[in-house]
Amino acid sequence: MISAKDAMKKPVPAPDADSADMWRGLREGVLLLQHCGDCHHVQYYQQGMCRQCGSENLSHRAASGRGRVHSFSVVHRAPGPAFKADVPYAVLLVDLEEGPRMISTYVGGKPEDVTFDMNVMLVCEQIDDTTTLPRFRRA
Amino acid sequence: MSDSTLRGKVAVVGIGMSPVGKVPGRSPLWLAADAAKKALADAGLDKGDVDGVLSCHAFASPFHRFSIAFSEYFGIQPTFSNTLQVSGATAATMFNIGAAAIHGGLANVVLVVASDSLMTGLTPDLALRSLTESRDQQYEMPFGIPVANTFAMTAHRHMKEFGTTSEQLAEVAVVQRRHAARTPGAQQTAPITVDDVLNSGWVTTPYHKLDCSLISDGGAAFILTSAEHAREIGIAKPVYILGGGECYTHEHIFLMPSLTTTGAVESSRRAYEMAGYGPRDMHTAGVYDCFTGTVIMMLEDLGFCPKGEGGRFVADGQMTYGGQIPSNTHGGLLSFAHSGMPGSLFHFHEVIAQLRGQCGERQVAGAELGLVHSLGAGFATNATTILGTENTL
Repeated sequence: MISAKDAMKKPVPAPDADSADMWRGLREGVLLLQHCGDCHHVQYYQQGMCRQCGSENLSHRAASGRGRVHSFSVVHRAPGPAFKADVPYAVLLVDLEEGPRMISTYVGGKPEDVTFDMNVMLVCEQIDDTTTLPRFRRA
Repeated sequence: MSDSTLRGKVAVVGIGMSPVGKVPGRSPLWLAADAAKKALADAGLDKGDVDGVLSCHAFASPFHRFSIAFSEYFGIQPTFSNTLQVSGATAATMFNIGAAAIHGGLANVVLVVASDSLMTGLTPDLALRSLTESRDQQYEMPFGIPVANTFAMTAHRHMKEFGTTSEQLAEVAVVQRRHAARTPGAQQTAPITVDDVLNSGWVTTPYHKLDCSLISDGGAAFILTSAEHAREIGIAKPVYILGGGECYTHEHIFLMPSLTTTGAVESSRRAYEMAGYGPRDMHTAGVYDCFTGTVIMMLEDLGFCPKGEGGRFVADGQMTYGGQIPSNTHGGLLSFAHSGMPGSLFHFHEVIAQLRGQCGERQVAGAELGLVHSLGAGFATNATTILGTENTL
């Protein structure tokens, strides 16, 4: 259970051994996807091994940033006090050009403008000195 | 189905429920113990007869091992116990695992018990935030993603793929409110219309406030024992566990294989196969209803109607009395109560009471077979249990 004081702060990702490179990449302006050298599976969610074949022969390549909205929902009731000032905002499930799906939020426009299958483009948004979040704008 | 499964080997012999809704001044442990006392009294057993306890975490309780803390509070020392965690699906897994433990000889009398105080034990903001804490700290939480949002995106996609409408979603809430109006102790009983739902304000599109389940206090408890022992102690109307199934398809919503077809297809398939019955045989159902669209998708995935037709099925009156599968006859999480992980235990309480013929004016005539489906974490976890009377063995 979290305290009332902690609930006022937006959660920031704490990179781990599996994900540190991706978060570093975002700080440098690229979204790194893991490409499996053995089965050619591409994954966004960072793991020390391929989710499909278990191989550790993975390499990072920058995503093109192009994607398409698979589904979305505009949040009007914030998940706790830290996000209250941001509503309404659109949460997106984006299918990246390379294959993986990821979750993020829409920037650079009104949330009500988001539609299914809308083409979107990655925006690396710096939150503070250590964290940059991958968000999407209309392409 | 084979003799090695737990089909018909274990019976529910006692059910109990604490006060639900707004229950100030009572801890989750008290709510659990109150429900447990009632379940034991219903079974005609003493707490000393219990040798197994299964429970799940309560957000408003500091105990990591809730089942153990409960046993201490209740003054028992079980020889089989666990605090299970597969979010909303935990309720059905407690029945499945409890039955398996009895069938496998790990315990003789298992108390399934859970409770929480989400309404008065936490502020509303903290209750929501606590639920959100169960999402991934790196990939989901930084974006401000409420639990409702993951479910909303599945419902939204269902609308896009199958033409399901907001009015059809709303109808689920309307039907269940009507059911709750006949349920003593239900938290919300005032009649609502489709327009009321559509005008209740957005939570996260396509869900309005009245598309969303309640936040409640309360707990429920059940006594499970072998069919043989149930006969020995002279239980009048044992309700048997005929089948159980589970399916876990993903952790993260963005890795869900399909937003509109869930693990409930497989969990229910396994439960039906073990029970030797199909969806058309069920007389009543408890269908996890954290949101209205969840019910529509589950009616499809549990096999009550074809994929994509859930909205029309509900609008046609098929989930209420006189329809194909009267569901959530107590009002469900949407109108009866939703105290977090224990929420689905109220569906069990209702379906078992229906099979015992104890539901008074909400009784489904001739109910002999019932299904309860529990799920959680944006459809990551799914568990199904099929229950039946003596005649269905």
